[in-house]
Amino acid sequence: MAASATGLNQKDMNQHLGLEGYTSNALKLFMEHLDRQPQSRLLDVGPVCQENISFFAGRVWKHYVCDMFIRLDRQIRKGDPVHQIWKELDYQPESFDGILVWELADRLDEQDVNRLVTLCHSMLKPEGMAVVMVMGDQTVSSETKAFVVGQNYRIYLRPQPHLNLPLRGRQNRDVLSMMSPFVPAKSFICRPGFMEFLFRRE
Amino acid sequence: MLKKSRKANAEPKVSTNPVTMVDRTIIGDQIYIEGTIRGEEDLLIEGSVKGNIEMKAHHLTVGPKGQVEAEVRAANVTISGKLEGNINATGRVEITKAADFNGEIKAKSISVEDGAYLKAVIEMERESTQKAVPLGKPVEKAPYEPTKEPLVLAGKDSKGN
Repeated sequence: MAASATGLNQKDMNQHLGLEGYTSNALKLFMEHLDRQPQSRLLDVGPVCQENISFFAGRVWKHYVCDMFIRLDRQIRKGDPVHQIWKELDYQPESFDGILVWELADRLDEQDVNRLVTLCHSMLKPEGMAVVMVMGDQTVSSETKAFVVGQNYRIYLRPQPHLNLPLRGRQNRDVLSMMSPFVPAKSFICRPGFMEFLFRRE
Repeated sequence: MLKKSRKANAEPKVSTNPVTMVDRTIIGDQIYIEGTIRGEEDLLIEGSVKGNIEMKAHHLTVGPKGQVEAEVRAANVTISGKLEGNINATGRVEITKAADFNGEIKAKSISVEDGAYLKAVIEMERESTQKAVPLGKPVEKAPYEPTKEPLVLAGKDSKGN
């Protein structure tokens, strides 16, 4: 794995975070779903990183990336209304077989979470799937991290020091509630407070 | 202004590797060009360019001050400024953390630095991994429809169709 942007190597970084990487079962199922689609289209809302582009673009037909984390960060820094970032997700309805939401929802207030969920529901095709992470409020620092995908669905967390975003610290039940337009497909506990969810659009 | 640059450690003769060509042209930050640029040497854009850029065997760099709205065909592309449009590269596309890119990328390989401001559709060149498309499958609408009038890219959506 490549060294992080902060100069620490990935192993040190994940030890610091209490995560020596982990194997993502949600991502594995998610990719199996995409592999079954004849011309799979995937949307990744970020933070966008080299490793993930290599991984996903090599697996899906078309890999769409729209880094909403950096857009959110710039909006907050400028003091502009957060809701303006949603115009960037101007994709056609039912465009994608899968959406990687990662932990974006945990960086948004209730109003913007609802907007994000509505957009994701619209952009996903029927039977399309979304991956959502929740770090919990006791797991790690509030620093924004990229979920860097390695071999065999191993995920490492790489801090993104250029992003300064609030962490809402949502709990598992909050995620299930906010994603109510979707059907919960699977959830996995990575460590106490840190869970990954797979949701499906009916 | 337009000018030639010579790389500091360049060999006196032209390299056979397009990425390490001795000479390159620089479009300075006070220059605005609208139209088609075709070239047989590397190009660095620090100014503004709108239209088409065709340099199939060479390296295009959009510098930190560069603002480009174009269809790009090049061997390799490095973006450190703003580029809106589609890139068709036979080699590598590098997007630095200073970049602001919006468009499609078709390339053999792509590198992206953390922090790049990116909205893209990425198609990596693959060997014999194309999935079969069921016969009679209706043509799908592209998820992203640019707000501006799209520029036609030859070969677009040819993969798998």
